[in-house]
Amino acid sequence: MIACLSIPGFELKAALRARPSLSLRPAALAPEAGREPLLGPVTAAAEAAGVRPRMRLGEALATCPQLVLVDPDPAAAELAWEEIVRSLEDAGFSVDAAGLGIAYFETRGVERLYGGLEPALKRALAAAGTHWDARIGAAGRRFAALAAASVAKPGQLLVVRDDEVGRFLAPLPLTLLPLERQRYDELEALGVRKLGQLAGLPGGAVAERLGPDGRRAWSLARGGASARVRGRRPPAELVESLEFPEAIGNELTLRRALGAVVDTALARPERRDRFVRKVALGARLVHTGSGGGGSWRRTLTLREPSADGDRIRIALAPRLAELPAPVLELRLELVELTEPSGRQLELLAAGAEDRSRLSEGLRQVRASTGSGSVCTVVEVAPWSRIPETRALFVPRDD
Amino acid sequence: MVTDSRDARALRTAGRLNEPRPARVEASFDGTPRHVNHVGVALVREEWRVLDRWWTEEPVVRRYFEVVLETGENTVVFHDGAGGGWFSQRGA
Repeated sequence: MIACLSIPGFELKAALRARPSLSLRPAALAPEAGREPLLGPVTAAAEAAGVRPRMRLGEALATCPQLVLVDPDPAAAELAWEEIVRSLEDAGFSVDAAGLGIAYFETRGVERLYGGLEPALKRALAAAGTHWDARIGAAGRRFAALAAASVAKPGQLLVVRDDEVGRFLAPLPLTLLPLERQRYDELEALGVRKLGQLAGLPGGAVAERLGPDGRRAWSLARGGASARVRGRRPPAELVESLEFPEAIGNELTLRRALGAVVDTALARPERRDRFVRKVALGARLVHTGSGGGGSWRRTLTLREPSADGDRIRIALAPRLAELPAPVLELRLELVELTEPSGRQLELLAAGAEDRSRLSEGLRQVRASTGSGSVCTVVEVAPWSRIPETRALFVPRDD
Repeated sequence: MVTDSRDARALRTAGRLNEPRPARVEASFDGTPRHVNHVGVALVREEWRVLDRWWTEEPVVRRYFEVVLETGENTVVFHDGAGGGWFSQRGA
C-alpha cells in the first residue's frame, strides 16, 4: 500500500505557530512580495466568512474586512516540515516528501513491525503530531492515496482497497488533478465536473482535446500508474546562522556577512572532505507593517559540487538582492553534501600544516576559555561613518 | 546520551567591534573636553561631527574629539547629541 500523509494549509499553520490566537479568527496567508496578489491557505473562520484560498486580495478584503493577513514564514514552514518528515523516518517509514504538507510512504516494510496496516498508519499519524491536523489516505496507487487523504478528516485514516478505487474516485471533484485553471474551466464547459466523468471518456479523445496534460489527468482519474515510492535521502543538515546586533538592509553588508557564514560553515568538522552540492540561504526578517516579521528562504543546487567558499558566495550573492526586508539573522544550510570520494583531492594541500597548527592552537584556547571566546573580525561596512557598524566579530567554534 | 548526528546547527551572535564605552568627561563652555576620566586634556587634535540615520527612530548625532591627554595617551571621545552623555571609542 502507498500512504499519503496530508496537512492542508501547512504553510499557514506553520506561520500561525508564532501567533496561535489568530487560528480562531479570519486569517489568511498573505501573498509573497512581488508575486500575484492571491491569498494562500485560509483559516476555518475565514472560510466561514466567504474567503477562499487563491482568492484575489482585494476581493477577499471586500468580502471579509476583518481578515488578518499573515506574513509567510517559509523558513519556519520548511523547518517544521523537516521535523515531521524526520519524525516519520525515525518511526521507520521511508518518506518521499512531495512538498510542504504532503508526504508519501510505502507501508509494506513496516506493517509487520507495527502489526498490520492500520497500526502502522496510526503510528505515522502519531509521528506527525496532533497539532497539525494531519490525515492519511492509503491505496494501491499514489494518486488514489492522495485523493483519499484529501477527503479524510483531521486525524482520520482512510484506506481504499484496489477493487474500490474506481468507485471511490468517481464522485470526487476535478480540482484534485494537477491541471491548469483554464483546463478545469474547459472541462467544466464540457460538462465534466467529477473524476468519474473524466475517467469514463475515451483516453484518445481526451488527449486530442486537452493534450498531454489532459491525458495524464485522465490516467490519474482512473487511479494513476502504479509506481513505487522512493524514500528520500535524509539531508545532511549543517546549519550556520549569524544574528546581527541590528537589522541589516544594505546588500554589500549582507554580502560580507554571507562570506563569513559560508567560511564558518565550510570549516565545520562535519563537512570535512565532502563537497557541497545543494545549499539553502535563509533570513529572519525585521517586522513589517502587517505585523508578522516572517522569514525568507532560497535553495540552490550548485552546477558542480564545491568546497570553495568563493564559488559558493558568488552563486548565492545574487539571491540577497531578492530579500524583501532588512535582515535580523542570516542562515546558511548545507543541504546536500557529496561523499568524500566525489572529487579528486590534492595529495598534500598547500599550507595544510600551518592551518592544522593554527587550528590546534585555537582549539586549546577555546578549551581553556570556553565556547565563543575565539572570534573572527568581519568587515561588513567599512565605508560607514559610525565606527561600531564597520565590523562585526563572529564567534568561531570550528 | 547519544546526540542526533543529523542535528548540526549553530547559532552565532555577532558582536560589534569598537562599541562606544561611557567616559567621564568634563567639558568647557564651548563643549570641548577638559578632562577625560579624571585626566587633563593637553591638546584637542581634531574635531568633527557625525550626523547619520536621521531618517530612523535612532538618529546618530555625535560630536567627536581626538585629544591628547596629559599622560601622553591619544584618545577619541564624543558627545552623544541624541541620547546625551560622553563616550570614548576606538577605531574612529
